[in-house]
Amino acid sequence: MSIRLVLIAFALWLGGCVTATVEQVRQTQTLLGDGDSIVVIGRRNRPNQEEAELDFIDCVSRKMSTGVDRVSMISEQEFRDAVFPWFEPRTAPLNTTDLPALLQEPVLAKRMDEMGLKYLVWLEGSTRRTSQGGSLSCTVTPAGGGCFGFLSWENDSSYEASIWDTHTAKTAGRISSDAAGTSYMPALVVPIPLIARVQSSACSSLAEQLRLFIQPDSAES
Amino acid sequence: MNIFTLRRNRGVSKIPTARSKMMAALTTSGAILLLIGCAGGTTQLDIEGDFPVPIMVKLPVALGIHLDTTLTTFTHAETFENSREWVVSIGPAQERLFSQLALGLFSEHTLTDSVYATPPYDGVLKPAIAEVQFSLPEQTRSDYYEVWIRYEFDLYDRSGRLIGNWQLPAYGKANQKNYSGTSKGLQAAAMAACRDAMAFFSINFSREPVVMNWLNSGMPDVQAPDSIDKTDASNTATSSDGRPV
Repeated sequence: MSIRLVLIAFALWLGGCVTATVEQVRQTQTLLGDGDSIVVIGRRNRPNQEEAELDFIDCVSRKMSTGVDRVSMISEQEFRDAVFPWFEPRTAPLNTTDLPALLQEPVLAKRMDEMGLKYLVWLEGSTRRTSQGGSLSCTVTPAGGGCFGFLSWENDSSYEASIWDTHTAKTAGRISSDAAGTSYMPALVVPIPLIARVQSSACSSLAEQLRLFIQPDSAES
Repeated sequence: MNIFTLRRNRGVSKIPTARSKMMAALTTSGAILLLIGCAGGTTQLDIEGDFPVPIMVKLPVALGIHLDTTLTTFTHAETFENSREWVVSIGPAQERLFSQLALGLFSEHTLTDSVYATPPYDGVLKPAIAEVQFSLPEQTRSDYYEVWIRYEFDLYDRSGRLIGNWQLPAYGKANQKNYSGTSKGLQAAAMAACRDAMAFFSINFSREPVVMNWLNSGMPDVQAPDSIDKTDASNTATSSDGRPV
């Protein structure tokens, strides 16, 4: 019994540990005025392994729009529908240099103005399982059942956000967020999953950094 | 003995009743059907959801859009190796798709029963689906469900004569990380392909050589075959070197 407790305590101590790193490069000053809003959208122009998950984009957007220093956010789907067909995978601008030509379309420029869109955040990246190990077996008999073993796996999240200023048609900066963590599942009769919330950690740190990047004054105050 | 006791006694009874036999038979047949379903069978998918209206400067064209039953009932079936048959109903979504598309693109539009335009319409557009393909992540060893649709468009003048035609390839993908199960993944990829077709059509319609020539020349009717013959005959007759023009 005491060995089981020690093992569970050890697993709890190990589980849930996530290391997150955030880096940013600023290219221009940023300022968010009254009525200005931001959209976070994923790059989908070609099939690749760095296409950000929809729930991750939603998570970043949701976290930026809540809290004390919340900013006005437009959801990705709402934005894509509102500016259709200009930000579809085949038609979306690849670089800020494509923006001025795109904004020559009067109806698009008017729509973006109506939405109060100031910053467009392109998001790329993904969360992947980088390694796994251990074994776990479960048995069911008429007398009962149980599992025995130990599993572990490591997840790695790596995302990069590129912030475009739609008013100046320039890249305002880039933020990268990396997180890694190991999850464990010890099993002594009952499996106990100890999940490291890697993607959630990457989402929180990226959302917080984006908010600070766009509203640097809020950090000072 | 009250009602509760009666029910409880009935619940622990070991004597098989007609009802319990029927339940056992239903459970067994359900399990068999489930096994058959796992081994093969057909899954029918529809394209659900709304299409956006394109934000464009509207073309000064009043266009009829003829969606025939071949298009509106179009389905594509594919059976993958060691898998079930997938039937994707693309046709029923086409009316929604082209209505929204025309709403954003043309100054006036209507859905017509034929390729003949009645005033004030300048012509009729007849879309058709020529080919559909789709693939699953396990086939391509990627993260994506993919759908390809090849559309064909015929443009007719007011009298129902063919002005010209062109093709439009559309592509849609859906990352399997975002969708639980093949049905949802394929639906999302098909929806993305439809949106891609709308986007490409919106931006390129007036750039298509057939359409561009028609618009630039004031949307005239195509000359009837007998009038073309007369023009050719007159040209031949006036040729200075005596050769046919």
